[in-house]
Order: sequence, then structure tokens, then C-alpha cells
Amino acid sequence: MIQPVVQITNLNLKYRNKPVLEDLCWTINRGENWLLCGASGTGKTSLAKAIAGLTHSYGNIALGFNPQSSLPAMVYYVANWHQFKDLEGQSNFYYQQRYNKQSVETTATVQAELENFGKKHALQFDEIEGILEALGFSGQKNATLIQLSSGEHKKLQLVKALWLKPQLLILDLPYNGLDTLSRQNLNALLEQIAKSGTQLILISNENELPACIDHFALIESGKLIEISAGEYNRNEMEAVNKPVPAFLSDAVAPFSSEQIIKMTDVNVSYGDKQVLKNISWEVKAGEKWVLHGHNGSGKSTLLSLICGDHPQAYANDFHLFGNKRGSGESIWEIKQRIGLISPELHWYFDPSATVWQSIVSGFYDSSGLFSDPGYTKKAQADELIRYFGLEEYKDTLVNELPLGKQRLALLGRTIVKNPELLILDEPCQGLDQQQTQHFNSLVDELCKNGTTLIYVGHFESQIPNCIEKRILLENGEVKSVKTITQKTYTN
Amino acid sequence: MSNYFNTLPLREKLNQLGVCDFMDSSEFLDGVNALKGKKLVIVGCGAQGLNQGLNLRDSGLDVSYALRKEAIEGKRDSWKNATENNFTVGTYEELIPNADVVINLTPDKQHTSVVNAVMPLMKKGATLSYSHGFNIVEEGMQIRKDLTVIMVAPKCPGSEVRAEYVRGFGVPTLIAVHPENDPEGKGLAQAKAYCVGTGGHRAGVLKSSFVAEVKSDLMGEQTILCGLLQTGSILSFDKMIEKGIDAGYASKLVQYGVEVITEALKHGGVTGMMDRLSNPAKIKAFEISEELKDIMRPLFQKHQDDIMSGEFSRIMMEDWAAGDKNLLAWRAETGETAFEKTPAGDVKIAEQEYFDNYTLMVAFVRAGVELAFETMVQAGIKPESAYYESLHETPLIANTIARKKLFEMNRVISDTAEYGCYLFDQACKPLLADFMKKVDTDLVGKNFNEGKDAGVDNRTLIAVNEALRTHEVEVIGAQLRKAMTAMKSIKTA
Repeated sequence: MIQPVVQITNLNLKYRNKPVLEDLCWTINRGENWLLCGASGTGKTSLAKAIAGLTHSYGNIALGFNPQSSLPAMVYYVANWHQFKDLEGQSNFYYQQRYNKQSVETTATVQAELENFGKKHALQFDEIEGILEALGFSGQKNATLIQLSSGEHKKLQLVKALWLKPQLLILDLPYNGLDTLSRQNLNALLEQIAKSGTQLILISNENELPACIDHFALIESGKLIEISAGEYNRNEMEAVNKPVPAFLSDAVAPFSSEQIIKMTDVNVSYGDKQVLKNISWEVKAGEKWVLHGHNGSGKSTLLSLICGDHPQAYANDFHLFGNKRGSGESIWEIKQRIGLISPELHWYFDPSATVWQSIVSGFYDSSGLFSDPGYTKKAQADELIRYFGLEEYKDTLVNELPLGKQRLALLGRTIVKNPELLILDEPCQGLDQQQTQHFNSLVDELCKNGTTLIYVGHFESQIPNCIEKRILLENGEVKSVKTITQKTYTN
Repeated sequence: MSNYFNTLPLREKLNQLGVCDFMDSSEFLDGVNALKGKKLVIVGCGAQGLNQGLNLRDSGLDVSYALRKEAIEGKRDSWKNATENNFTVGTYEELIPNADVVINLTPDKQHTSVVNAVMPLMKKGATLSYSHGFNIVEEGMQIRKDLTVIMVAPKCPGSEVRAEYVRGFGVPTLIAVHPENDPEGKGLAQAKAYCVGTGGHRAGVLKSSFVAEVKSDLMGEQTILCGLLQTGSILSFDKMIEKGIDAGYASKLVQYGVEVITEALKHGGVTGMMDRLSNPAKIKAFEISEELKDIMRPLFQKHQDDIMSGEFSRIMMEDWAAGDKNLLAWRAETGETAFEKTPAGDVKIAEQEYFDNYTLMVAFVRAGVELAFETMVQAGIKPESAYYESLHETPLIANTIARKKLFEMNRVISDTAEYGCYLFDQACKPLLADFMKKVDTDLVGKNFNEGKDAGVDNRTLIAVNEALRTHEVEVIGAQLRKAMTAMKSIKTA
């Protein structure tokens, strides 16, 4: 009898001392490719890490690799969150560091990083070009790791895994931050490696999956239940009908200016590489925009100019809230009017802040809390904590929570001051479908009060209803600007 | 030029040495107003120059960079740093005459030539800002009487100054106004506004004087910060090799050990650091650090005396004049030590293991911090200054050792620090020879608790805890740390 690739019996696992998985059993036979789903915080990532031997668990996990296979007899886990180090082996980077130019390069190039990885696993270099091409990553070989956006870091992680082709590959939220085309190409590549013998475990709540996925599992109350494809796609979502906290729905955002953003012929280059070319864009008070574009099209750079995070704003014709950048305003005056969430903000957020401190820090636009907020602000933060169902985690450090809960806390931080401009750059990364729907309906609600919105989302299903305008970037240029009349998005 | 401090009557010496106030946050309510609309010209665009400039501009101030012609024409790193971040860059002649504030952020050694070059170009009534007072106090640079002279010194590396600012915080900062150069009485207001511009006001600002800053800074850097960490690291490594501990393990323990150990110091002072040891280890570390304090006290006092009398700067400037002969020879020597040449082994050392297996370094750090602090305070420096220049900065220097050992530490620190470190290390090693003979692997290399009874005598432990917790560096440290609430944690290797 052929030994199963993974056989788990009575697995018990704790996450930060709380039981997550209890007597879980799971058998993955040769040739099967699984999808693993479940609400945020049910233990998907913990289970994956346990299989990969990256976390401590009780119970039995037996791995049975195929001795006849030419593929590496190993399990390789691609984390839901990227991690990189500088040339000295430290990962002590800070928020928006990549936009501050320093003459000394402190991180390796993509090329060098891949060469190291290839050497470590004895891989053939001629096999990598096709993967880079398919994920639209060929042009990034000379970029240094610090220059990459979160979507590009995700691609780098995937490139390594697809190149390695281990016998068992676990991908944790692999679609996060990827544009539509890259997602399709990723699925095609996954089908290819599955055909050549790599078995997959995919952790995702998305609907566009590679065709090779033939088994579906749901984690619920610490146990794993096999479900059918039909059950997986049904998407039963209970509508969440919590009333929006009064302090957010009552207040009408005060307009400081009719013109929130106006930029004319904005150009930004990194060395020889031009990332934004002649961008002109105007956002008026109360408008709801979606910003689309492929990975590397310049979206994060554009948003960082708006948020006061990019030094090149000073060199361009860039007006924010009616004032030209560099006319004596401080970035804190700008940030005071903006509620921001982005993968980058999340990645660099103060790891020593609790959920409550993180939410309150939104009043001050700081990463971590350094001020005493006083009675009213405290009460408002508490109300948001109840709204997002985070009561239980109020005093827990954000980075001790599963990704989805971390994100909810930071979304609370984004909206807590009821800002006049909301910049939501992939706000629902890491959230499950119910949380996503909940958050987007909150955005719709907030926007009724006249809030201006800029929304970035690669998934059509994750766009709030209130969006009325769309700007599309392609290779650093504005490809189109249009008013949306009906809910049809093509990316 | 003659040593400024030595020209002062004793009364004024004591007066200036004794300036040190921790400023209340209400002092900064005026924000950057005192500098708003003024032209700030930074001379030099290295790590401090660039990162302070980025912060000041993001705070709404008008910042440009004056560089030497050769740096501009040669498109050197300083020119790239400034232009690639879209700052206006020009020569001294182009930018200094219109500057309201000239901020000198060049290395100490260049101060005399830089100030001599910019001073004639500065307009009447402008302000000259320093980040270190050596040029004024030790070299005795005389500044034109119409100019205001201030000092703003963030107590962290440049990258940290930026990282803390963009997260909405800042780094602790020391400010001062030179009493000989404050003709319009605007110096303090401008220094405070500058602090707000770099975010320092959020993390705690110490009002000091040029004299107090220089005399305490020199003392701290050459004794505890660089000197003792260097000496202690090399002696520890050599001891482990002598006793047959694996060289890769020894190298890793020493390279990363100081950082892990002083991380505890950063958060909880000497008490916090000592509390990471088991009770028997704590008592042992206390006893040997008492012994170390007795052995090293005369050396610490000599360093402080030479700093106060100006003897230290005199001989260092002699070496500058001789093309850094002594310094370079010593730097090369450091690069050749066995510790430097042995790469850290590929072994996992758990965080607690750095304490349990490196009790000797805990003792060195306690002895050095307390001695440096006590010696400074006895010499008339205020406890607040003494705290910053001893305990507060130790983890920052330890971080440079963790990055690339002692050679890197000496490369990163200022020339004055490196020269002082050289003098200290030369004198300290022979002083500790007898002490080190008694040291065995239970203090360095192996777990102190191994094979020992964990029991201790209650009264001894209480007495040790009492002595540690009531030391003045702990009392003042607890107050100052409270004001610096958000300190980043390091990741252990």
C-alpha cells in the first residue's frame, strides 16, 4: 500500500497558548491537491506550519514522500506574509524606507536572492525564466529587495516555490496582492507543477482556483471537515447587520477644500527606472475612486505621494487639500486628514502595540501609541472594538493575532478619526469573505457622509458598492479614467 | 585657538557643567514656528545630515544642502543622497549667504575647516547649529559675535532618527545654546523648534550646555560605551578559546551577547539586566562586578580627569596632526584579533542562553555603567547627562558590535570615540590580567547554573538587590525611561 503523503492523527495545537486545533485528523493521499479554507483565526496557518515542521504541535504528523520521484522530497511552506533581510542578515526596516534614497544599497537584488536560493537547493537556472515571465516579474531582476511592493514580494516568494517544485507545496493566501492576470498565470503554473508531481495544499477563500484542486477541507471548531466543491463555492454569508458606531455615522466629514488631490504631470524615477510617467489626476471632495493597475504599475508609489510618505512629492506639481506640497505644511497635517490602510503600513506596524493601542494610534497617525487619548477618544476606540468583534483581543499584541484579526484592528485604526479622505489599499487582505463583506458595507456607510475614497483592490468581488470612478494605471502611466455607470469591472 | 573650557573661571566651569534639564512637553507647544519660513542649510549629507533633513522638510521647513565643490562635481555619495531625494544642493558660496540657519552635520574632525569656510559667508544674525560641541569647547573655535550658536544632538544613529520620525515618534535629543553666542536670545526657541522638526520632542529632550555635552560624551564613549565593550569582548573571547570552548560558538556568543544583554539594560536598567540571571548567578555577577569596579576605578577617574583638563583632546589632536598614526595602527590591530577573524558559528543560541552563558559580560556592563556614571557625577556632571552618556547609549553601541563585531563598531563611532576607546583598551587589558586568570567557563562559555544548587542565602540576595536598585543610575534611569515610552525591540540572532 502506498503511504499517504500526509497523515495526521489527533493533532493538537496551540496558538499563543490558546488551543486552536483539537484532535484534528487529515489524510492526504498521493496525487491529491487540497484547498484548505475556514474563517479567519480557525487555525489554517497553524496547521500548515505544523505540517511543514515550523511550529510545535502534539499528535502525529507522518509524511510519506515518493522515493521514486525526482522532485525534492520535502514540504515547502510559502507564508502568507513575506520576510526579507538586509545584507547583514537583519530585517530592521522601517515604514516607507524604500522611498528615501540612500546611496548605499543595504539589501540584495532579486537576481542575487534567486541565485542564493537556487544554489541552496541545487536548481537549474534555465527553468526560472518562464516562471518570471508568467508572473510578470522579469523586469525586476535588478531591483533590490527593499524596493519591491508587497505584491512583488509575494511574487518573489511564489517564484521560489514554483522553481523548487517540492513534493508537497503549501501556499498560504497565495493570491494576496496579485493582480488578475498574475492570479490566472499562477493557477496555470500550479496546474503544471501538479501535473509533474508536486502536490498542493492551498489556503485560500477565493473562488478562482487551479483546476487541479480536487479536495476541499474546512476547519471549524478545531476539527477538519472534508467538504464538496459545491459546498465550497456556495459562499453562504450571513449578512452582518451591526449598526455603524454613532460617532462615525453622525459626523459629516468637513471639507477643507473642494479639491482634495490635484497632480499635474507627475514623474517619479528610481535610478533609470521611471515608475510614474506624466500622471495627471484630480480628485474632488466626496468622490469615490477605485485605483486599478497590474502589480508594479505604480499604484503604491502614487498613493505614497498622496499620503505624505514620498519625498518626490516635493519635486512635482502636487496639490493636496488645496495646498501645494512643499509650501510649509507638515506631513502630520496631511496625515491628520487621511485614513490609510496598506500592505506596507500593516507590514511595518509597531509589533509592540496592543489591539486597543493600535486603534487609538489612528487618531495620531502613529505606528504605536505615544499619547494619552483622553476620555472621548478612548470611548470611540472601545466602540470600534465592539463593532469589529475584537473585545476578546483588546489587550493582545497585534502581531500575536492571526492575520485576519490583525487586519481588522488596523482597519479600526484607519477609520477611527472619521477622516475626510480614506485611502484603502487592498484593505481586505487576509480577511475572510464575511469580514470582507462586513468591511465594505461599512465603507459604503461611511461614504454616505461625504467621505472621499480611493480604493485599491485586485478582486472584483471585494470592491464596495459606492465606487463611481475608476483610474487605471499601466506601466506607470494613466491608461484610462472613467465614470462607472454600472457595476462592471475589468482589470 | 585655545580650549574654551580652560579659559573659564571655576565658577563658570561648574555652572556650565551642571546644566541639564529634562524638558517638559509643554515647552514644545510652539511647534516649528521659530524656524518656519527660514532657510535651513545643512552642511554635509551623510546619515545624520540626510535623515535629519528629510524629517525637517516633512515638518514643513525649508531645507537645502551645501556641499563642497568637489563633492558636487565628483557626484559623491553626499551629493547623490541630497539630489535623489529632491533637495536643492549648492556650494557654500551659493547657499550659505542666504541661510538663516546653517546646520553643520559633518564629522567632528572637519568642523574647524567647515566652520572657517562657512562663517565668513554667513549673513549677519544667522544661526550656526552643531550636533556635537567638541569644536567649540575643546578646540576653542571662536564664532562671530552676531551669530547664534546652538546644538541639537539626536542620541541615535541617522537611520533611527528617520525610522522613528515616520512612525510618528522620535529619538531622545539633547539641545544647548552656547552662552557666548546668543546675541538675540533666540537660540533656545530655535533649538526647540529644530527638535520638533526632527520629532525629538516626542521622545524626550534634555537641555544641556556645550560644555556638559562634550565632557560627558567623551567620558561615556571612551569608558563604558566603546572602551569596556571592546576590552570585555576580546578578553571573554580569548578566555573561551583558552579553555577549549568551540571557537564558532565563542565568536557568536561575544558578537551577539552584548546586544542581547544590553537590550535588557535598555528596558529595565542595570536592575532589569541583572534580573535576567538566576539568583546564584546574580549574586556572583554582583560580586565580580564589585571587584571590577575597584580595579577599574582609577582608570575611569584618569579618563575623566584628562577630559576635564583638556589633556585628552590635546593628545588626540596631536594624533590628528600626525595623520592619525596611533589611531590607524590600533584600528588595524583590532582587525587582526582572533575574535575579529573567527566567524560566528552556525549554532542557535537562545535568548536566555546569552545571559546564562555570558555572566561575565553582565558583570562587565554593570561595573562599567555604574563606574562611568559615578565618575561623571563626581566630576560635576548632572545625573541626567551621565545617564544618557552611559547607560542609554550602551545598547546602541552593542548593536554595532552585533552587526559586524568590533571593527565595525570602531568604524561607525566618531573619531574622538575611537581614539578614546584606543586609550582605554590599551590601559585596561593589563589592569584586568590578574582578574581574568581567576575566570573560568562557568562565567563565560558555559551555563553558570549547570551543576550548581539553585539555592541562595536570603539576606545576601536582599542586600544585592537593594544595592542594585538604589544606585543613582537606577533612580534617575527609571524616571527618564518613563518619558521614553516607545523603545523598539531588537530581534535576537
